[in-house]
Amino acid sequence: MTARKPLLEALVSMLAPGDVVVSCLGANSRYLPHLAVPVPVFALCDSMGAAIPLALGMALERPDRNVVALEGDGSLLMCPNVLATVAACRPANLTALLWVNGHYESSGGQSLPSAPVDWPGLARGLGIAHVERVGDVAGLRQAFPRARDAREPALLVVDVAFDPSEPIPPYSERPDEIRARFRIA
Amino acid sequence: MTLAASVPDTWIGTLMAAVRRSPAIRAVDAAREEEAVAIACGASLAGGRGAVLIQNAGLFNCGGVLAGLVDLYRIPCFFIVSYRGDRRDPVYYHEPKGRVTEPTLAAWRLPFAIADRGAELEGQVVRGVEAAEKSRGPFVLLISGEDLA
Repeated sequence: MTARKPLLEALVSMLAPGDVVVSCLGANSRYLPHLAVPVPVFALCDSMGAAIPLALGMALERPDRNVVALEGDGSLLMCPNVLATVAACRPANLTALLWVNGHYESSGGQSLPSAPVDWPGLARGLGIAHVERVGDVAGLRQAFPRARDAREPALLVVDVAFDPSEPIPPYSERPDEIRARFRIA
Repeated sequence: MTLAASVPDTWIGTLMAAVRRSPAIRAVDAAREEEAVAIACGASLAGGRGAVLIQNAGLFNCGGVLAGLVDLYRIPCFFIVSYRGDRRDPVYYHEPKGRVTEPTLAAWRLPFAIADRGAELEGQVVRGVEAAEKSRGPFVLLISGEDLA
């Protein structure tokens, strides 16, 4: 299974000037400041489950920008209902990536309290039509442009390795700094 | 406001019907209240102005997102919350929620006002929106069904 960092690096390399990124708490938010992301980033350090609805609000407000939401499987398991809300709104400019590692990485690596979830099936059942499962960097490089170009909300289910010894950098930006810098031109 | 995210109850449903008739406000039906808060915050972060219309029971669900998003990132967020179970509510089973509404708002340090039926509601909404903008945080306007009559 592929590690998170090369997947994140591949994603960042594919971002275009019209994109905006909303990141869930944890490894994504902790890595992104070190990856020279060329677009506005709103990085959460708390509030599990908020990334996709935050991105939805931005996407509805700014249909001229493509909003990329990064969410974790532990967070989405708390509130999968948000996918139904997204499906009802049908924003053409929202692309969500769901990082699936089966663990609460930020809180100590505990396992999610369930058998493996059929995330693509769940997403489709809640009304998201454009769903793809990605298992490596090459797959992400193929699937992300398709998702971004879809004329409907899209979800990429990204299987990522869980490695308790992964040297994830600490949070390097405070919320007030993130908030002050975040601007969508 | 440019966007109103809502989970309905009877009273909020009446209000959202009016919102849907507005050409200026996008009405978003959320499946759960925490989502509605984040959706409204997203709209505000993107340059618009988001509001949340929910029942008090739904507000009780929102402690985490209020602390970890609205307060932590200092995002203006105006709420209209139906005050179910207050002394004006004719439905008996809402009463337990009414008992804990104001204590919860106080404990969570949420600035709020109870809509004054004797005054024009529009001005109270405007003041609430302005209070949220000024504080860069939440403001809750509690309404009763009578206020919408």
